[in-house]
Amino acid sequence: MQQLDSTTANPADVVAGGGHFFGIPYGWPLAVAIVVLVVVMWIAREPMHRIVRQTFFFLGYMFARWGSALLDHGRRAREVTNEKIASQRADELQDRMLHLEEKMGKRTEQLARETGPILKKLDKATHELATSANAISDINLEDAAERAFRAALPSMESSRGLSKVEKNIAQNTARTMNERLAPLRPALITIRNESPRLREVADKLVKIEHDFNKNASDVNKAFSEFEEIVRSEDRKKIAARASIVVPWLIAVLITTIALAGVFLNFFLIERPMAEIVGEGARIGGIGLPAFAAVIVIFLEFVTGVILMDSAGFTRLIPAFHSMSANGRRVMLIVSFTFLALFSVMEMTLSIVREQIIEQDRETDRLAAQIIGPVLVAPVPSADAPPATDAAAPSQVPQRANVFGLELSTFAQLILAGVIPWLLAAAALPLETIIRNSVFIVSIFASFALIFLGFICRTISALFKNIGVFVLAIYDFIIFLPLFIQRYVQARRAGDTGSSRLRAKDDDLVLNDRADPKAPKREKSRQPEPEFEKAS
Amino acid sequence: MMRHLAAAACCLSLAILAGCGLVTSTNRSVFFVFDVSGTYVEAVPDATKMANITVAKLLPGDWVGASQISACSFSEKEIILQRQLPTTPSLAAEAKRELFNEFSAYAAQVKSAKYTDIRGAIAQASFELKQRPEEERFIVLFSDMLDDYSKSCDTSEIELDLRGIHVVAANVIKSDPADPQKYLDMLKEWEATVVAAGGTWSLVTSPDLLPKLVTGV
Repeated sequence: MQQLDSTTANPADVVAGGGHFFGIPYGWPLAVAIVVLVVVMWIAREPMHRIVRQTFFFLGYMFARWGSALLDHGRRAREVTNEKIASQRADELQDRMLHLEEKMGKRTEQLARETGPILKKLDKATHELATSANAISDINLEDAAERAFRAALPSMESSRGLSKVEKNIAQNTARTMNERLAPLRPALITIRNESPRLREVADKLVKIEHDFNKNASDVNKAFSEFEEIVRSEDRKKIAARASIVVPWLIAVLITTIALAGVFLNFFLIERPMAEIVGEGARIGGIGLPAFAAVIVIFLEFVTGVILMDSAGFTRLIPAFHSMSANGRRVMLIVSFTFLALFSVMEMTLSIVREQIIEQDRETDRLAAQIIGPVLVAPVPSADAPPATDAAAPSQVPQRANVFGLELSTFAQLILAGVIPWLLAAAALPLETIIRNSVFIVSIFASFALIFLGFICRTISALFKNIGVFVLAIYDFIIFLPLFIQRYVQARRAGDTGSSRLRAKDDDLVLNDRADPKAPKREKSRQPEPEFEKAS
Repeated sequence: MMRHLAAAACCLSLAILAGCGLVTSTNRSVFFVFDVSGTYVEAVPDATKMANITVAKLLPGDWVGASQISACSFSEKEIILQRQLPTTPSLAAEAKRELFNEFSAYAAQVKSAKYTDIRGAIAQASFELKQRPEEERFIVLFSDMLDDYSKSCDTSEIELDLRGIHVVAANVIKSDPADPQKYLDMLKEWEATVVAAGGTWSLVTSPDLLPKLVTGV
């Protein structure tokens, strides 16, 4: 008879075929076995529940603790990062204030020089104006008019006719008034001339005041922000105000462009470096000239960093912060000299590179010339003479040149001279990249810790719920004897204490409802109730 | 104290790395062997031209040797030249030009031999290359690969040791156009001989392939 697979065949067919379940034949033996199993499970309920609780709830508790710890670390890491960002911002503002203070100090020195002549002019103009004003105020117009009229009377008396008298009066009065007012004219001219000058001087003073006020306002603003950063409790808000990503992206972009220059530089100096260090060896899989070229580029970059730091543009090297101004100046001169030497060296190497290329080309040409047309034709070259006449001097066509160098060589020369300085300039964004990268990594790390904490807490909840589910399934399998047991116990204990008894006995009731009359206690950090129960 | 220890550990690691092959050589040694027996002597000028092209493509620091296949080739007398190129490109270029001249001079005055002791020449080349420190070693054979040993110098039974050596047969002219199978069988036989001796075998028919095979460029 064909044996049926109990796992895949239809149970009805299996029964019909007289099959078995894990070696127990179907029918009454299996029924007895199930009953025995249920009874055994009922008897073993207490230790089995304990095992399940200890396994799942302990794991849940463990993950919960990990989750809490990770969340705690993540939050603390974020706080530390915020503090660092705020400190960094405070440092920046401090630098800015110092810079503005220095600027204002210099401006004050200039101000004394600038305002001295202006004040002299102002004093002179004021004095002249005062003199003119005194002269004007000293003149009694009524008296002058009377005197003029009196002076005109004799001539009026000698005239005849009324109209003539009137005319004469007017003319004489005007002339006399003119004579009397003549001393006033210089004063009036002085007033006319000095007024625009006075306005100009006043404008200058207003501008100076404006500049001064602006600087003072900048200092005040920086100081206010600095004070807020130092004193504010909301470090997150302070940190959020400082932009990290945008300057970082800009710095990365600039550095990438600078790295493209490095790449170009590398190909420019790699080949001629063979003339200095020789060929034939590899260091870590890289050819010796290539390795030497990389080292030279690194040295140029380091010199650039020192130059920028000693010039005060960057603050990458801490030793420069504590160095005296003279020491920094010495370092500036030394690094500048080194960079200039590197520049000259690269220019020389660019010429050597051209010479090597020319030599190689000539060697190839000679080898190809000797081979003749039998095997391979020589590579057609503009400067190569016909292959049949090896001894003939090469007819090199005249090419455009600058200072005796070919245009391409001259371009290489310029490039080689400029690149070390560009590399030095790449140190400027490097500071931002390094500083902000640290912040970005710290922020990401704190988020990662928080996320891991969340995952651990989720796993913890999952384990606890799986434990509860397994216990429920276990009790479901033995529900009949369990029901009978509880019924009997309830009958014995009486109806009054049944619910409490059930709750005490029932593993699935994890958190029994608290007695409303019981005094509320402070929530303290305690182990998980499930774990306590399990242990 | 800890910093000093860390620095010392770094230095030691670097030294160990260097000792373990951090610094390696890229140089190669190439040994040209010209067959001067029988009718192949007429092809020697062309062979030297191929050698010139290969030499032109060698890198500074590479080593070049040359010998000829004659009646009894396993001899220092058959060695034409041995020279290491300087490590700097400009000096290497000058040395290459001198090698061109030496090969040209040799091709101009080469004399024919009665017998063809190819195995002896390979053994001689192998012996010379084994003395060299270079990791990559090549024997470039310019021959029709038809051996013919004299009674006084029969090296047909000598055991060859070609481990670590790449044997390149270049410009193998076809001596009997009427029997291509014989030519192909002969090449297979030589390949089997070289491989059995621990070497690797290549056949170059096009002159421009030889420098590529040797220099890898």
